[in-house]
Amino acid sequence: MKRPPEAGDVLQGTLDLLILRTLILGPAHGHTIAESIERTSENALEVEQGSLYPALHRLEDRGLVSSRWGVSENNRKAKYYQLTAKGRKELDAAAGRWRRMARAIGLILGESNG
Amino acid sequence: MSFRRFIHRQDRDRDLAEEIESHLAHQHDANLSRGFSRDEARRRAQLKFGNPLAVRERVWRYRSVPWIENAWRDVRFAWRSLRKTPGFATVAILVIALGIGVNTAVFSVVNTVLLQPLPYPEPGSLMMLMQTSPQGSFAAASVPEFNLWHHQTAIFQEVAGYDTGGAGLNLTGEDHPLQVQGVHVTHDYFSLFGAPLTAGRTFTAEEDSPNGGHVVVLSNGLWRRRFGGDPNIVGRTIQLDNEPFLVVGVVGRDFVTDAPADLWLPYQFDLNTQDMVHYFSVAARLKPGVTVEQANAQLKLAADQFRRTIPNAIGPQNSYGVEPLKQWMIGDTRTPLLVLLSAVVLVLLIACANVANLLLARASARKREFATRAALGAGRWHVVRQLLAESLILSLSGGLMGLLLGYIGVRLLLNVNVGGLPRLGENGSAVALDVRVLLFTLAMSLLTGIVFGLVPAISASRPNLATTLNESGSRTGIGFRSSSFRSFLVVSEMAMALILVIGATLLIRTYLKLQAVDPGMDPRNTLTMAMSISGSRFQSSAPVEQVIRAGTERLKSIPGVLNAAAGNGLPMQGAFGMPFDVVGRPKGNAPFTGGAGYYSVSWSYFDTLKIPLLRGRGFTDHDDASSPGVILINETMAKRYWPNGDPLKDRLQKAPGAGPIFAEPPRQVIGIVGDTRDGGLNHDPHPTMYIPLAQMPDLETALNSRVAPLWWVVRTNVDPHTLVTSITTALREASGGLPVAHIRTMDEIESLTTSRQRFNMLLLTVFGACGLLLAAVGVYGLMTYSVEQRTQELGVRMALGAQASHIRNMVLGQGMVLVLVGVAVGIGSAFWLTRFLVTFLFNVKTWDPLAFLLTPLLLSAVAMVAIWIPARRATRVDPSTALRFE
Repeated sequence: MKRPPEAGDVLQGTLDLLILRTLILGPAHGHTIAESIERTSENALEVEQGSLYPALHRLEDRGLVSSRWGVSENNRKAKYYQLTAKGRKELDAAAGRWRRMARAIGLILGESNG
Repeated sequence: MSFRRFIHRQDRDRDLAEEIESHLAHQHDANLSRGFSRDEARRRAQLKFGNPLAVRERVWRYRSVPWIENAWRDVRFAWRSLRKTPGFATVAILVIALGIGVNTAVFSVVNTVLLQPLPYPEPGSLMMLMQTSPQGSFAAASVPEFNLWHHQTAIFQEVAGYDTGGAGLNLTGEDHPLQVQGVHVTHDYFSLFGAPLTAGRTFTAEEDSPNGGHVVVLSNGLWRRRFGGDPNIVGRTIQLDNEPFLVVGVVGRDFVTDAPADLWLPYQFDLNTQDMVHYFSVAARLKPGVTVEQANAQLKLAADQFRRTIPNAIGPQNSYGVEPLKQWMIGDTRTPLLVLLSAVVLVLLIACANVANLLLARASARKREFATRAALGAGRWHVVRQLLAESLILSLSGGLMGLLLGYIGVRLLLNVNVGGLPRLGENGSAVALDVRVLLFTLAMSLLTGIVFGLVPAISASRPNLATTLNESGSRTGIGFRSSSFRSFLVVSEMAMALILVIGATLLIRTYLKLQAVDPGMDPRNTLTMAMSISGSRFQSSAPVEQVIRAGTERLKSIPGVLNAAAGNGLPMQGAFGMPFDVVGRPKGNAPFTGGAGYYSVSWSYFDTLKIPLLRGRGFTDHDDASSPGVILINETMAKRYWPNGDPLKDRLQKAPGAGPIFAEPPRQVIGIVGDTRDGGLNHDPHPTMYIPLAQMPDLETALNSRVAPLWWVVRTNVDPHTLVTSITTALREASGGLPVAHIRTMDEIESLTTSRQRFNMLLLTVFGACGLLLAAVGVYGLMTYSVEQRTQELGVRMALGAQASHIRNMVLGQGMVLVLVGVAVGIGSAFWLTRFLVTFLFNVKTWDPLAFLLTPLLLSAVAMVAIWIPARRATRVDPSTALRFE
């Protein structure tokens, strides 16, 4: 199941990256994560909610996040996800990869000139 | 990691469903706060999330382990497909169950006898001490030898002596006296075998020395049966032969002895004796790190030293050695058991060939199914896997049933006859289903599933798509390749069945030959029983003689009793051995003239057993202590030691140099009696001599009374079982209250001596019958199938005017060709294989012409019947239907 991250995985891993980034602010449940990603990106990125949960579960299986059931701000039962130490490290690495990628694309598109 | 996810995915899925629920609720809340109506808020939340089931499915799939998923699907698919053909599945499972059942049965016996460790701590270091000589070795010991071995502390940790049979004791002092099996042991015995204790203790060294007092250790069984498990039994006194014995301990329930024991008494040896009589066995535990070879080397040195200390005690070529206890107990039963195991593997192979054939037929009928599936994209491996799943389901179900069959079968078999096998317990009670048997059956089932499943699976997975799909229905049948493979299977089945049946025939012939052996006496209407005379009353010959006279008189007065006698042994049970000298004859190199079986008997012994007197005179009741010593010899002894002379002119000195116990003047040979088969019907008679019980030296009687019971034999003119009560009552009255035990007819004793041959014959006959049946089913199946496949061809032939008889003979001929090839291969293989049966046989050659002629005929006849049925069906083909047959 574990593969070394490659360039091709960067886009696929985007959602993972965004989730991890959101969780650095503290534990959150699925709905909050989705809202937060949408809000922070000024609604430019609409999370396909169908992909959110497979991604969360995959992250949990990889040990990057941990989860527990709790009670939400709305007084509802909700499953809270929290970044693990391993997740924090992965966030740094993935963020670095993303920045290099973004810069590379930027260079190709000639952004640095403009 | 992925495996854990796989196992827990059921729970995790529920968790996810709940999580999605929660998500939708939160979205619903958010939508509400944006001012949507309740319904709209729910609708939008669901819209935004998409299909929850799709999400769950994605997670589910990512959690699955493909091969398990696939295997499970294959198994379910195979199960459905088998259920659609219940007839096929039932036949296949029954055939496998039969094959695996006989294997489980035989293996569970092999397991108990050969594989299971002895039920003692560190059984590997337990040794039996053996007398060795160039002629072979046997386990026996005299007191000076025991003493010698006991001193070999460099190699032995513990050394203990014990009885292996014994005279039996009378437990008196209660309402009815009871004859019990008392085993004499030295005090190390219990610690040597690690006997657990329920109460009290075992013997101390002091109690095991001369004048150590009357003490006894009870077995758990006797303690519960006779004393109701009395918790205060230790310290109580019980009466043995009317003498008080202090109970010092009770042995735990789990303690197993090979010869059954009700109680144990200390031997109380006088270690200073020079009495060289062998009357007990000695076992020892090797010191850690000492090997059998080292022990044997040390014992050889000890024997040399012993020969110098006590001259003439042992012969110049005699020595001592050890044999691992387990090996000694298994004895010569190893080879026969392994031969039986090979025989059942043959049965299983026939069963496998049978099921493989069924599967092949089934696979070719399903050719279109596989071709369709292949056309739809199923890989070859996929088809193989699915067919293997089917055969494994069959073999595992068959294995489960076989386990049951085998277990019940072995129970029934051993209840009838334990075949003289050691370590099986009473009626085979020691044979149990343990992990080893279960694993064996599981392995057998898996192996058979793969063996008979793989070839059909591979051949089915090689379809030619275009031709198969274009063919109409299943009428074209199987290709040449798989058809010749099926013929090969039937030929091998026939050959293997023939090997089994020839083996069975040889054993049946052996058994019949044994039955035809003249036992040298008339076993019909003869009742025998043992009376223990171990008490202090019988330490000299006169009181024994008195009991015999009184008993014989009373017995003869019972209506229906023709004659009665007593002796210290019975024919066909094996006798004591005794060296002898012919007085006045030079001895040459040997220490004695020879050795012979030795009985002391009452005067009416030969008349009662109808052992014929060939020359001279027999004993009379006047041959007693007051008259000159006389001796009778059997025919074999006369022929061997007096090839040209006349034994009746000679006197015999029995037990020369055997010590004071046996000291007596020479005896006159007064007659020659017929041979009896004391080593069993399958052994030639031994030289044997008889002396009158009334003329036994007192000391010898005392020893005799300790090691062997007095055997009574009563001849009746009615069924002796009907007289048991009056006979035992008469003997009790005549002996002052002594009970008798081991009541058996001479017929029963005779059949015990052939029980191993009967056991082998029974087993191999069952295996042979199974093999024959399976092979017949096999050839029947093949021919039926072939006729079905050729319906159209047969129809055309009939339409063109072929006679029914012609068609029948054609099918018969084709089937019989296979059978005859199988028979030829079988005869060839059996010719080579029967040599392994040589130890089973008696007066039958391994190439016994009768077996090699009759058996193939029988097999061919059975096969002919099996082929006849499909052959007749072939003649009933209606041409018009056959041509339209689709």
